[in-house]
Amino acid sequence: MEFLRLLRHLFIPHESNNQKAKILHSSSLVLIAVGLIAFQIILGFTHETFPQVLGYAANISPSEVVRLTNVQRQSNGLTALTEDPTLDAAALAKGNDMLAKGYWAHFAPDGTSPWSFFLKFGYEYKYAGENLARDFPDAASAVTAWMNSPSHRENILNPNYQDIGIGVVEGNLAGVDTTIIVQFFGTPLSGSLSVPVAKAKEIAATSVQPTPAPVIVATPIPTQSYVSPFVSTKNISLLVTGILILVLSIDLIVVRRKRIVRIGGRTLAHLAFFGMILAVILILKAGQII
Amino acid sequence: MKFKHLSHYVALFIILLAGFAGLILFSYDRNIQIAVSGALALSYISWGITHHYLHKDLHLETVLEYIVIALLGFVIIFSIIIRA
Repeated sequence: MEFLRLLRHLFIPHESNNQKAKILHSSSLVLIAVGLIAFQIILGFTHETFPQVLGYAANISPSEVVRLTNVQRQSNGLTALTEDPTLDAAALAKGNDMLAKGYWAHFAPDGTSPWSFFLKFGYEYKYAGENLARDFPDAASAVTAWMNSPSHRENILNPNYQDIGIGVVEGNLAGVDTTIIVQFFGTPLSGSLSVPVAKAKEIAATSVQPTPAPVIVATPIPTQSYVSPFVSTKNISLLVTGILILVLSIDLIVVRRKRIVRIGGRTLAHLAFFGMILAVILILKAGQII
Repeated sequence: MKFKHLSHYVALFIILLAGFAGLILFSYDRNIQIAVSGALALSYISWGITHHYLHKDLHLETVLEYIVIALLGFVIIFSIIIRA
């Protein structure tokens, strides 16, 4: 009975809570906000102190990216690409270069092109292409995001390519812990007289500020699943927002039925506000591609 | 049942829709998303104050409630953005 009274006090307008669910009182809402901030601080601290517990690269293995890319090609009637160790090394070098120089773009701020990594590792190309992804929890999400983007899809389904190389690097990019996937496509020159043509999207460097001392992990390919900070944050946010929407709905019904008059904000407006936040939580996804 | 202050709620709907669209459209830039979240929170507080002022039931307690709700909303969206 005591527990039921507590639930009523917390979630239903009643005399005990001055006709407003305790959880909707300003003091309670401040506590929830402080709790969420504390959760983020603990999450960041845990990642710094126990990197084996919280990871930013969950199950992203280069071979899985190659496999999923070839699944997409074959389902579109194209031949599978061959994983090339030279392109793997070139892609890894490109990823590390982004972390070292603190940029998130196809071209480095100093003008270094993606193609220079091909040549640096001795891959003379006839055709070359590059797709980039960051912050995805797994290989499947990254490949799906690329396939949903017309220009990246064009690269994956380009019949001119024969080889593929994948580099996965983890580190701190412009102050954000990041996992970057570099996907290189190529066709070797092999004595052809054709003039080399770079087929990738040539996008100018974007405005990511260089980090003075980036943390670089050379070959950070995790072999186990981690707790994703994004998924943890999303779940906590969904829980808090869901509870608030539920309690606000109960409040709206009870106050209207009992014709309770009280000083305070509009429950309907709060419901609309948290409804919008719920939609944002559900739609926002981890990961960016260029 | 007559819906009071329909125009106020239409304005609120536009504010929320604009915030939602901004967060989706600028999904490639975290800084813009954070700015949109802040603007959304401030707009919600402004809407609350204006609405209650026009309704002639504006009290300090009400203003605080809108500030706290907006702050909580901002913290939730901010947390998601920085982890995305």
